[in-house]
Amino acid sequence: MTEQVQTGHLSGLATDPVVVEADRGRGAARGIFEALWDLLTSMRFSLFVILAMAALGLVGTLVIQAPVGVASDATAKADWLAGVRPRYGGWTDIFDRLQFFSIFGSIWFRGLTAFLTISLLACMVQRAPGLWRTATKPRVTVGDGFFAHARERDTIVVRGEAAELTGRVVGVLRKHHYRVLLDDDGAVNLYGDRFRWAPFGSLIGHLAIVVIFAGVMAGSLFGFRDDSFMIAEGSTALVPTGEGLSVKLISFEDAYYTDTGAPSDYASDLVVLQDGRDVARHTARVNDPLRYGDLSFYQSFYGPAAVMSVTETDGRVLFTDGVPLAWETKDDGRRVGTFTIPSKDITVWVVGTWGGTDPLVKPGQMRVETYRASTGDPIEQLTIDQGVATAVSGLNFTFDREIQYTGLSVSRDPGTILVWIGSILLIAGFTIGFMLPHRRIWGRLVLRPNGVGTLSVATPGRVTHDVDRAFTDLVTDLRAACAAPTAI
Amino acid sequence: MEKMSYYSFVAAAIAVGLAFVLYLMHVLSGLRAARMQSAGTGTTTGTLGLFMGSRTATFGRYGSILGWLGFAFLTAWLVFRTIATGHGPFANMYEFSVAFAWGILGVYYWFERGYQQRVLGLLVLPIALGLMLYAATIPATIEPLVPALQNNLLLTVHVAVAIVAYGAFAIAFGAALLFLLQPSGPRWGLPKPAVLDEIGYKAVVIGFPFMAAVLVLGALWADVAWGRYWGWDPKETASLVTWLIYATYLHARVVRGWTGRRAAVLLLIGFAATLFTYFGNYFFSGLHSYGGLG
Repeated sequence: MTEQVQTGHLSGLATDPVVVEADRGRGAARGIFEALWDLLTSMRFSLFVILAMAALGLVGTLVIQAPVGVASDATAKADWLAGVRPRYGGWTDIFDRLQFFSIFGSIWFRGLTAFLTISLLACMVQRAPGLWRTATKPRVTVGDGFFAHARERDTIVVRGEAAELTGRVVGVLRKHHYRVLLDDDGAVNLYGDRFRWAPFGSLIGHLAIVVIFAGVMAGSLFGFRDDSFMIAEGSTALVPTGEGLSVKLISFEDAYYTDTGAPSDYASDLVVLQDGRDVARHTARVNDPLRYGDLSFYQSFYGPAAVMSVTETDGRVLFTDGVPLAWETKDDGRRVGTFTIPSKDITVWVVGTWGGTDPLVKPGQMRVETYRASTGDPIEQLTIDQGVATAVSGLNFTFDREIQYTGLSVSRDPGTILVWIGSILLIAGFTIGFMLPHRRIWGRLVLRPNGVGTLSVATPGRVTHDVDRAFTDLVTDLRAACAAPTAI
Repeated sequence: MEKMSYYSFVAAAIAVGLAFVLYLMHVLSGLRAARMQSAGTGTTTGTLGLFMGSRTATFGRYGSILGWLGFAFLTAWLVFRTIATGHGPFANMYEFSVAFAWGILGVYYWFERGYQQRVLGLLVLPIALGLMLYAATIPATIEPLVPALQNNLLLTVHVAVAIVAYGAFAIAFGAALLFLLQPSGPRWGLPKPAVLDEIGYKAVVIGFPFMAAVLVLGALWADVAWGRYWGWDPKETASLVTWLIYATYLHARVVRGWTGRRAAVLLLIGFAATLFTYFGNYFFSGLHSYGGLG
């Protein structure tokens, strides 16, 4: 006995109460492609894929994730693993082997995402034609079994003339915002529905996920990103996109609330230069990035910087600039920065003080450490006083004063627009799909020659509170309309 | 305004507390009447919910009135606190906890109007009350916003949407719990499993798109403030996991063998994930950590 008039599981994605997966193509020798297709379009399978995705996400929240870049650098990775070993003990190597420390770049996550994408596309391809047929070419005539067994059904005794009664029934359905289709095969068959396009909302919601994935993909393929773009006050730094663009930091301000000491503002006054020419100026704040063309500059971090100058013994200037002390030494927490003097094959590390009790570098001093750039061999280390030119490895080093530097994230992401389009489709699609369920009702009007007969009406699927209420209201109105005095 | 918001909060806590007592009496009296009736005639429940004796109905009615009053006071709290701070009151754990209670009550009363299942209220009112009592124990001072939160529009919308989603998930949790209490058909005059299944689904159908909007608005904000729309920050990830669990539920509900019990269990897991996401600010070290007690 069929309660479902529609065939297969074609008429809805998540909103349709029909489950049809078990009874297809069994027994017959199925090709591997067919089996794969069945798997990919199976609701049960997608359930497990989503669950697995959630499980990976859970791993990502519970297990500390290694910072970006650590995985590709063997020494950095060993250091990092040593850092988390006390916490995870013997599990450290197992987790590492399983790629749990960078779960969102892991083979599991990539594979699952690929699988999910293919599965989403397969489901849409498989379900769309059915949705289209249901919306555009619904069956108007259904068997008697449906009227006898649908969970939501009713029969009204009517008296009168077929055309007249049909007109009234159609009128009531239209008043309830149903579209009505008729078919006369001796009896009058009626089909009415509301929100016939709404099931496509769910389809669009699923499509939106693929659109978002496409945006993420476009961003990682064609985007540009530098999360540690640092400029000292008064300095200019070249944006590493190879487009002749540079950014100058006029000043950096960090402000604090006087009563709580909590930070209130971080602001970098920035000028954008194209081939040395000023083209834009903006004070970048945490919630207010600098945008120039398709590049965005976000206030990300900040810290102290040392204005250093290096001259030859004859007074020729080799280097003069603010050096961001952007790193911290691991054992003693001193701030350090670096620059190179290519013409002398020298790399310089500038080390700041950790405070008044620092025996090596006192406040008002900087320690200068020089290394051979090509080999990494140390040349000389010396602590120098502020404002005093001091000879280190045959060059005169001066620490002029301490200033601040700003750390910016620079990004260009052509995929973002796709992500936002996908996001809007996602919310709109699922909202429409869920809030406006496709309501369908079938009716059959049978009159005997004496003008007395029955109007059977039924609606398919699960009975819910609001479906029941809507159906009851509709039947009440139909009863009233058919019983109206002129019908006799 | 801060004073007014405080009074509203206290009034709301008292109203919800009293409402809870009345719901308890309502349900106890209803269950007893149902038992006596089933002993006599063999019928157990009305079509929707408890068998209604006159005393039962009175308890229920006054319970609902007090609950509504509690919701109204919390709404007043929201308004006063918004005026006092200049943004939606969602900037620290105190504000967020009270707002969460508001969301739960709001969604619950939306469902009570349609379904009249006060047994469900007996389960979710304590959650709201617990959140309010918890809020009463943590500092309620209004503090100026740290730079990352200085976006009044997105702060207000992002979290307001989250509260509705969380509220809906709390209702679904209550319905699932009552569903699982009756493994073999209707019992004790509790709401029928079919009705509970429907309430759970309806709540998720509200919560799921709202949670999607939370993720999207969060991504939008992250893009403005941090320069990327997604960074696998623990709170971001936890929200996504929550959303995925409800996505699983929506699929489970139409897969043979997963309807009913398993789907209800997914709703319990989903709410656990919701709470995990919500309290995550305490133990996540990520970018959302400012939302703590500070």
